[in-house]
Formats: sequence, C-alpha cells, structure tokens
Amino acid sequence: MLSLSSYFSAAYLGLFLPAALALYWVMPQRGRRAVLLGMSFLFFWAVSGKLLLYLLFSILSMHHMGLWLTDLQRSAAQALEAAPKEERRALRTAARRRQRQVLAFAVLLQLGVLVGLKYSPFFAVNINSFFQLLHLSWQVEVPKLLLPMGISFYTMQAMSYLFDVHRQKIQADRNLLRLALYMSFFPQIMEGPICRYDQTAPQIWSAPPIRRRNFALGLQRCLFGLMKKIIVADRLNLFIQTVFTQYENYDGFVIALAAVGYTIQLYMDFSGTMDLAVGTGQILGFQLPENFRQPFFSKSISEFWQRWHITLGAWFKDYIFYPVSMSGPLKKLTGRARKRLGNHFGPLVAGTIALFLVWVCNGLWHGAAWSYLFFGMYHFACILLANLTGPYTKALKRKLHISPTNKPYLVFQIVRTGILVCIGELFFRANGLRAGLEMFEKMIREFSLNSLADRTIFTMGMDKMDWLMVAAMLVVVFLVSLVRERGKPAGPRFWQTYILPHYGLCCLMLLAVILFGAYGYGYVPLDPIYAGF
Amino acid sequence: MVYFKRALALAALAAAMVALLLVVSWIVMPKDNTTEAGMEHAAANGILGEPANTIDLCVIGDSEAYRSVSPLLLWKQTGGTSYVCATSAQKLTYSKIMLERAFEKQKPKVVLLETLAIYRTITPGDVFLNELSSYFPVFRYHNRWKTLRAQDFTGPAQATATDQYKGHHPTLNVDPCQPGQYMVPTEKAAPIPRLNRMYVQWLKNLCDQHGARLMLMSMPSPVNWNYSKHNGIKDLANQLGCDYVDLNLKTEELGIDWNQDTYDQGDHLNHYGAIKVTNYLAKLFGDMGVLTDHRGQAGYEGWDEALAAYAKDFLR
Repeated sequence: MLSLSSYFSAAYLGLFLPAALALYWVMPQRGRRAVLLGMSFLFFWAVSGKLLLYLLFSILSMHHMGLWLTDLQRSAAQALEAAPKEERRALRTAARRRQRQVLAFAVLLQLGVLVGLKYSPFFAVNINSFFQLLHLSWQVEVPKLLLPMGISFYTMQAMSYLFDVHRQKIQADRNLLRLALYMSFFPQIMEGPICRYDQTAPQIWSAPPIRRRNFALGLQRCLFGLMKKIIVADRLNLFIQTVFTQYENYDGFVIALAAVGYTIQLYMDFSGTMDLAVGTGQILGFQLPENFRQPFFSKSISEFWQRWHITLGAWFKDYIFYPVSMSGPLKKLTGRARKRLGNHFGPLVAGTIALFLVWVCNGLWHGAAWSYLFFGMYHFACILLANLTGPYTKALKRKLHISPTNKPYLVFQIVRTGILVCIGELFFRANGLRAGLEMFEKMIREFSLNSLADRTIFTMGMDKMDWLMVAAMLVVVFLVSLVRERGKPAGPRFWQTYILPHYGLCCLMLLAVILFGAYGYGYVPLDPIYAGF
Repeated sequence: MVYFKRALALAALAAAMVALLLVVSWIVMPKDNTTEAGMEHAAANGILGEPANTIDLCVIGDSEAYRSVSPLLLWKQTGGTSYVCATSAQKLTYSKIMLERAFEKQKPKVVLLETLAIYRTITPGDVFLNELSSYFPVFRYHNRWKTLRAQDFTGPAQATATDQYKGHHPTLNVDPCQPGQYMVPTEKAAPIPRLNRMYVQWLKNLCDQHGARLMLMSMPSPVNWNYSKHNGIKDLANQLGCDYVDLNLKTEELGIDWNQDTYDQGDHLNHYGAIKVTNYLAKLFGDMGVLTDHRGQAGYEGWDEALAAYAKDFLR
C-alpha cells in the first residue's frame, strides 16, 4: 500500500497528487467531479483503510439529518401560514423545539463517533486514576481505538453544515455526492482548513477546468509550503525531539530555544501544509479558506487566535461563543451584571463564561490529555487578563502619552505576544503536564548560556549550518509575511502579465527544497502535527 | 501557434530545470570516497577504491553483515578477496545501490546478502528517492551544501580510498546473553512485503547480468532472528533459485558461545563471533571453489599490509 500518511510524503507528492491533477485535467466537467470524489475516497482508504466506514456514516447521517431539518422547517412554515394568528406562537415554539431536538440528535451522531473514538481512552484512564485515588480496586478497560484520518476536521465540517441548515443560512443539500465531496476533499481532509459548506461545496462541485495562471500560482504556493515544511520544520525535528524527551539534561537556555523552535516548527509545518492545501485548491480553480494571516504580527493573544488556525477559531466563535453568550440566561446575566459592574466589566461576565467554554473545547479538540486542556486554559487566562486590565492599560498608555501607532510600543506588544505564545507551545509539546511544568521551572531557574558558549548547542541534532539555514528561511518567511501584511503588492508589470517568470520562480523554489531540504540520511521527517489532532 | 509557443517555453523551462539539477548534482557529488570529501558510509563505499576486478566475494546487508564477516581473516585463511558493502539498518533500496556501485569496477563471483535487510520495510518513498538520486545525485548528497569547497566546483570525481578492514566493523567488547533455544521449529513463515520481494528479485537479476551468484545468509542473532523468518527466507530462496544458509541453525557447529561472542546481548556478534562465522565461510566457499588464492600475486600486496594492521589490533 502507498504510504500517504503525510501530504509531504514522496508517494503523495510524486505519485498521488500528479495522478489526481492529470486525471482532473484530461476529464470533462462531470468526469472531473468523479475524479475528485474518487481520488478523495481512494486517499482516505489508502490512509485509514476500513475506517472509511466512519466517514461514510458521517456523510450519510448529515445528509439525512439535514434533509429532515429542512423538511421540518418547510412543514412548519406551511403550518404557520395556514394557522390562525392566535395559534401561531404556540406552533412556532413547538416547531422550534422539534427542530432543536432533531439538531441535537444529528449533532450527537457526529459528536458521538468523535468522542467515542478520540476521548474514551482519556476518560477511561482518568476514571481508573480516580478509582485508584479512592483506593478502589475497580478498573475500567482502556480501549485501544484507531482514529480515522481527519476525524476532528470533518466532524467540525459536518456540524457546521447541520447548524447552518438549522439556522436556515443554507438549504440542506439533496445531492449526496456533493456532500460527500465537501466532507472528503483530499487536499484538506487531513489537516483542514475547516471549510463551511456554502464557501466550498458549490465551487468544488462546479469542478472548473485547470487554468494556466491558476496552475502557476497554485504550484508556487505549494512549493512555498514545501520549503517551510522540508527546509525548516523537518530540520528542527531532531533538536526538538532531543530536548523535549531529555529535558532533564539541558539548561534553561536550551529549553527556551526548544520552546521557540517548536513554535516555529509548528507554524512552518501547519502553515506549510495549509499552503499545500490552498495551493492545490488554487491549481484546481477553488478558493479554500485561509487558515493563517501572519500570526506573529499579533499584538495580543486574542489577535493571535484571529490569525492562527483561523477556521477553527471562527468555528468556535460562530457555533459556541456567540450562541452561548447570546443565549437567554446569559443575556439576563449580562443585563444584571451591567447594572452592578458597569459597561466594561458587566458584559465581560457572560463573555467570560462563553470564552471559558470555547477554550475548554479548543484545548480538548487538540487532544485528549490534560496538557491540552492546560494549553486551552492558559490562553483563556491570557485573554481574560487582557480583557480585565484593558481599561487600566488604556489609561496608563494615555498617561504615558503612548499612541496606538507608537512603533516601539507595537514591537513590544508583538514580542510580548510571541513570548506568551512560545510558553503556551512549551506546555503543548511537553510530554505531559508535569513535564511541561518542570521544563518551565527549569527554563526560569536554570537559565544559563553555557551551552552556547561551549557550542554544545550545535551537537543536539542541528549543527551550525542547520541553524543558519533555519535563520535564512525565517528571514524569507518574514519578508513574505511583511509584504502580505502590508497588502498584496501588484508587482512589476511583467510579473502580472506573463506566467513564465512564475514557473521560473517555481524552478528555483524546487531547487531550494531539493538542495536545502532536511530529508534523507541523517534526518527524521516530522510527522504531520495537526493530523494527529 | 500560441499553444506551440507555450509548449516550447515549458519544454525549455523543464530542460533548464533538468540541466540545473545535473549541474548542482555534479557540484555536490563527493569528489572522493572519503568521509572528509562528503561520502556517505565511507567504509562500505571503500570498495570503490579497490583495484578493478580484485574482489571475489561481495557482502551486502546491514550491521549483522558488517559485524559478522571479516574479509581480512578470510584473506588470511584462503587468500580469497572479499568486501563488506553493508551499512547500518541497510534497506534493500540501498543494497541495490551498493551492488550497482560494486559492479562498476568489480566482478565478484558470489554476492552474499544478509537476510535481515529483507525484512526491513521499504516504502514507495524510499524507492522514489533512490531511483531519482541515481539520475540526480543531488537528492542523495544535497546536504553537502554545508561543506562545499572550491575543488567541488572544479575537481574531478574519483575514488582513492578503501577501508582498513574492508568494510568489516570489528569490536572486542563483550556483553553476553542467554538466548536459550531461540530457533524453535514452526510451520509459520514470516511474510516478506511485496516490494521487498521485488527488490531481492532485482538484486538476483543484477547478479545474473554480471555473472555473479546471489546467496542469502542469516547471521547468528537471537535478538533479530527466529524460525518463522527462516521459513520466509527459505521460501523466497526456493522461488528465486538461490542458495540459503541460516547460521542461526548452525550455532553449535560454528561454536558460538553467547557468553563471549556478542557485544550487545545477542543483537550482533563481536570480533570473537565474527572469527567463527568467517571460519565457516572460509570452509564453505573453499568447498564451493568460489575464492581464488591471490596471496603472493601482484596487485594484492595491499591485502597483506591491511592484514598485518588488522592482526596487530585483533589477532594477538
């Protein structure tokens, strides 16, 4: 069987993707749809085998439940129209209740599979620990379950579809194949972006022909992702592995460097994968949603999460934060709190409850472990602290005559956010919460530059040239990010008019990947990090 | 006409890319077969530095092979020349490369493949990268950008060095084990992945093309070997029409003492174990008439010098 467990595997980049593109290119429109659907299912089967059945279950259940919801909405509308005015209110309430019941059942079906497969071992382990704490001899068997590829991603897509149908933002789709393609689209199923039905399903289903310009620009984007992953993320892998598994042997500086290194690695791996996904979509003529918007230019943790894994943040905002904070009981709470605490702190109460839920879900979405939950709570605490101290910092800035556009202050905010993010990622990557806490303590208490002075830093899986290469690539990525942050440049005229220069750039990028990539003898490629979530 | 122009432009671009890859490949190729010059696995690749057509037996495989076979001891006993082109955790994809390199200058009569490599998983990615690197060596030596020197841009590529122990990695360390009866007979045969089977077939074909005989051999290793693997290799050998010798079934005949002959608790043999395996090979190949006695012949003086150094270190 082909080893397609990563978008960066030679089998995917050298065989599967070219074959899929070639087939798509030669087919007429109907055939192109079939190619996308066929290749998507083939890809899923090649990675997850029989676990494809879980995906099929998700597709079939969301299709059926979506239609059920739409039928309920239609029949409710007809009944309301026909009913006398005085009965309409009762009818509307009953219809809403019924629709909510169906929605809850539909979500339960989707979430049940995810929770059952992904979280039941975590629950079982913790129940056993609890029994042990009570000195009880009971033991729950810890299930050993295999996860289908991308279950955390496609379940979110399925739920967003059901919520949107319920909110009547979209019509339920009668076309099972279109839904199947929306759920299984191979360039994004493993690591996202988490798409919305109305954003992507119609354009993927339209299966436009490959255009020359799209091909060149998409290829360029894919190669940029490849550079990030293979030159930087894979190069950092040995160092990160070494330090995180044997952190007891290293001083605070090495641990701090590993925390920064891991943050860079995570960004390069995940954003590189997104470049490949969005780039593949662009080649095919689709516009997949962006998942990153220069996150390291963020001035606060809150802003960071609007720029990092955007589609996940947007999902939590649309389907957890707003519904919870706008729910009846919390609205009442806000009203009461506003009277007592004023206009700033009053609304914060309800917002904080919703925010807390969002970060519990965010932490657990990344994995069933206490360290992930801690990761979520850490960011919740950072955002909450910023919300609580907001008026005071504003007043302080006013007193010190610091304007919001003051450049040194902007740089300070960006660096501060970066440091906070790196600390969060330290806990995220550490082998358990205890290890994370120990590493953090070591980083503060045992900080020394000895490993840099005696050059042992260059013996931990990366030599001096490796560090220089990472630095050089960071400069490249920073410059590209800076250009994007300042708005898309038009570029010279020939760049806009002709395609050949783009292919020329592609050749150079490919050469850079081949020559400077961390692959082959002496390197251990990084497994796709987000595919494990 | 427009399409023709576009196709021409793309073809020119592709040709430029290929040319660029070839130039870069030439630059990063080690200009000698030494570690200092950037050669990977310099000991195994020392065969490139041996005088042409002087090696009678070539050994490929992983660490089991380079720990168990001592070419200099074989030379001492039979006057036959051999070279161990084995590398740590060698995959069959690399075995093929090593064999192709060996056949460039040598005409061995027998190629010995240590069988643990046959069970090491190879992925389509390994195959892809290996095949690609045979056309564009930059895929193999790309990391040499770190150590490029002026002569890499100008000097010719050559192979001047050979390994002092002819690819063998001897060690005098002892870390015993008590494996008991690890070769328990069974009907089961450990399955060999299809891609691995294909590679062994290619190795066989390569040997046939060069007039060499492929022989499969399992070195003694209680940690890595068992009877079901023996059965799997035996079936494969029968299908390919190769000889197969499993030394794990002959440990008594060889006189292997696991209290003394291993340096890592039965994973690999040490120098004392290697002596016993090499003694067996000397007899086996002597009986088969594979090894020619080159002692005293012109062009083989280096072997005596290498043996003297080896004897000083290990045969006291």
